[in-house]
Amino acid sequence: MKSSTVHVPAPQAGSAGAASASRRAFLQKIGLASLLTGLAGFGLQSLRSLIPNVLYESPQKFKIGLPSLLADGVTFLEGRRLYVVKEGKSFHAISGACTHLGCTVKYTKLQQPKQVDINGEKKQITAEFHCPCHGSKFYDDGTNYAGPAPTPLHWYKLSVAPDDGQLIVDLGDEVERNFRLTV
Amino acid sequence: MQLIESARKITRRLLWTWKPGSEKEAGDAVVKNLLLHWFPNRTSLGSLSWGYSFWLGTMAFVLFLVLVLTGIILMFLYVPSVERAYGSIKDLEFVVSFGWLMRGAHRIAAHLMVAVVFLHMVRVFLTGAYKNGSSVGANRPLNWIVGLGLLVLTLLLSFTGYLLPWDQLAYWAITVGTNIASAAPLVGKGMRFILLGGNEIGQNTLIRFYVLHVFFLPMVLLFLFAYHMWRIRKDGGLAVTDHEALDQRLEETAPVRTKTYSLLGITGSGSVHVQNRMVDEERNSVASVPHLTRRIWLVTIVTVVAVIGLTLLVRAPLEAPADPSVTPNPAKAPWYFLWLQEIVTISTVRLGQLTINGALIGGIVLPAVLFILALWWPFRDRSGLHTVGIWFARERRTQNLVFLCICVLIVAFTIVGTFFRGPYWTFYWPWEAWPSIPVKF
Repeated sequence: MKSSTVHVPAPQAGSAGAASASRRAFLQKIGLASLLTGLAGFGLQSLRSLIPNVLYESPQKFKIGLPSLLADGVTFLEGRRLYVVKEGKSFHAISGACTHLGCTVKYTKLQQPKQVDINGEKKQITAEFHCPCHGSKFYDDGTNYAGPAPTPLHWYKLSVAPDDGQLIVDLGDEVERNFRLTV
Repeated sequence: MQLIESARKITRRLLWTWKPGSEKEAGDAVVKNLLLHWFPNRTSLGSLSWGYSFWLGTMAFVLFLVLVLTGIILMFLYVPSVERAYGSIKDLEFVVSFGWLMRGAHRIAAHLMVAVVFLHMVRVFLTGAYKNGSSVGANRPLNWIVGLGLLVLTLLLSFTGYLLPWDQLAYWAITVGTNIASAAPLVGKGMRFILLGGNEIGQNTLIRFYVLHVFFLPMVLLFLFAYHMWRIRKDGGLAVTDHEALDQRLEETAPVRTKTYSLLGITGSGSVHVQNRMVDEERNSVASVPHLTRRIWLVTIVTVVAVIGLTLLVRAPLEAPADPSVTPNPAKAPWYFLWLQEIVTISTVRLGQLTINGALIGGIVLPAVLFILALWWPFRDRSGLHTVGIWFARERRTQNLVFLCICVLIVAFTIVGTFFRGPYWTFYWPWEAWPSIPVKF
């Protein structure tokens, strides 16, 4: 490196001095920009590393047993927070997670049957789902009617396993509230 | 006696470079002492008064120190793993010698800190202390914003703290908390995913909240706190000093005497301090050592005694181990979040076909609006100089009333949530018995 490059140019060397000053400013900008780019890159990397690529979570689709072994009426699958309803040969599954903030709703038998109107359809119900956290209430088909819950409880698709005939729940497949699996 | 004297000598040798021999030198000494250098040389009588500040900021810091000290011990004894967290807390409570005391003091100090920081904010608002007075170079609105940051950090620290025992309270607080986050438009789902470290609450979640609680949040808080303190000095001390200076201007004052003491060793003549430090006159102020330091010691002792006393009276609860299938009935947040729980319960909005979840309105929009309003308020408040540093200034009456109304509403919601809510979050009188409801399906 020539020693002249590090000397501050003499003031009378007008254009050369200006060129040097602008070169210095340019180098400063380059330096600052690379520092900031580096920091931003580090920030992004850090954030990205916190988003897991592999999840060791329970599968969305799982078997819950033979339909014939399921008790008539409502069964609560604790580990899955899922209510499975068996009415004779017809089956459906309702999520136990409140649609407001995710607490587990409680299946509550009514003292007396109640006449309700669900989307214009008159129906008699004997049980409801109640949420302990913020007091949301749902009819037995998951329709929300009181409290802060904005939507009905989710219904999930049920199917029969082709290999061993067990019931399969697919939490990734939401279905309408008229869904029934007949076995 | 001999022991105390030699201890004093050792401290002096370690912390002081030199021993003061006069009033002037004592002032210099403040600057030269490691522990005292952040205090002013002299302190105005108004700043020292009990009734002006109630020393709430000092208390908050003492509580933070208690939390750090007990927290470090707890870190040795707690295991942040889903399988072992609950057991290690149970051991702390029933097996470890004085474990219950450590955990209890940590918990009580945290509760007190939330209360004290909130009251500190109320005090600052009602005394108009977020306003610039006559001090040159003051930027109190900025310090108010820093203070709001400290309040939010305090709440986040409390939230991340009570998740760690991995009991029912913890599990359902995470459930509700992260579902509120996911109610945010666009970014909500992603935020929940990052907070939980997945779709389900598990080990990823616990370790995340643990690191936030024991390192990240306290670090940020410490830096912000240091800045908060530094700003107070640069803003010319507590706001009441500005008020005192204002009063003095009206007097016929003798010519300002030459300052003989060092001003932190940083000033030439004509610095900001010299220009507006009329209150530094001897009749309005006292030497910081011992008058300020003595009161700080007193506040420290009272705070620590209060923490230990309350810890002995109130045992820290530990609910059943986390159970995703059963939500406690009712599932109540700690008291300082109950007003929010009350609000997310009633704020779901239905407009014809459109339904907006209370999680978004009560959990995000409303707190955000309150927070932004608080951030912006110092810039909106155009009341005069004489309202700075005085309780309930007449000119600020309306805004003080509005502010108090909001505070009273928050407190009222908190009380309703605490005492008037039973199973399924229905209304019960405090003396009414709750029905017994089977825990399991």
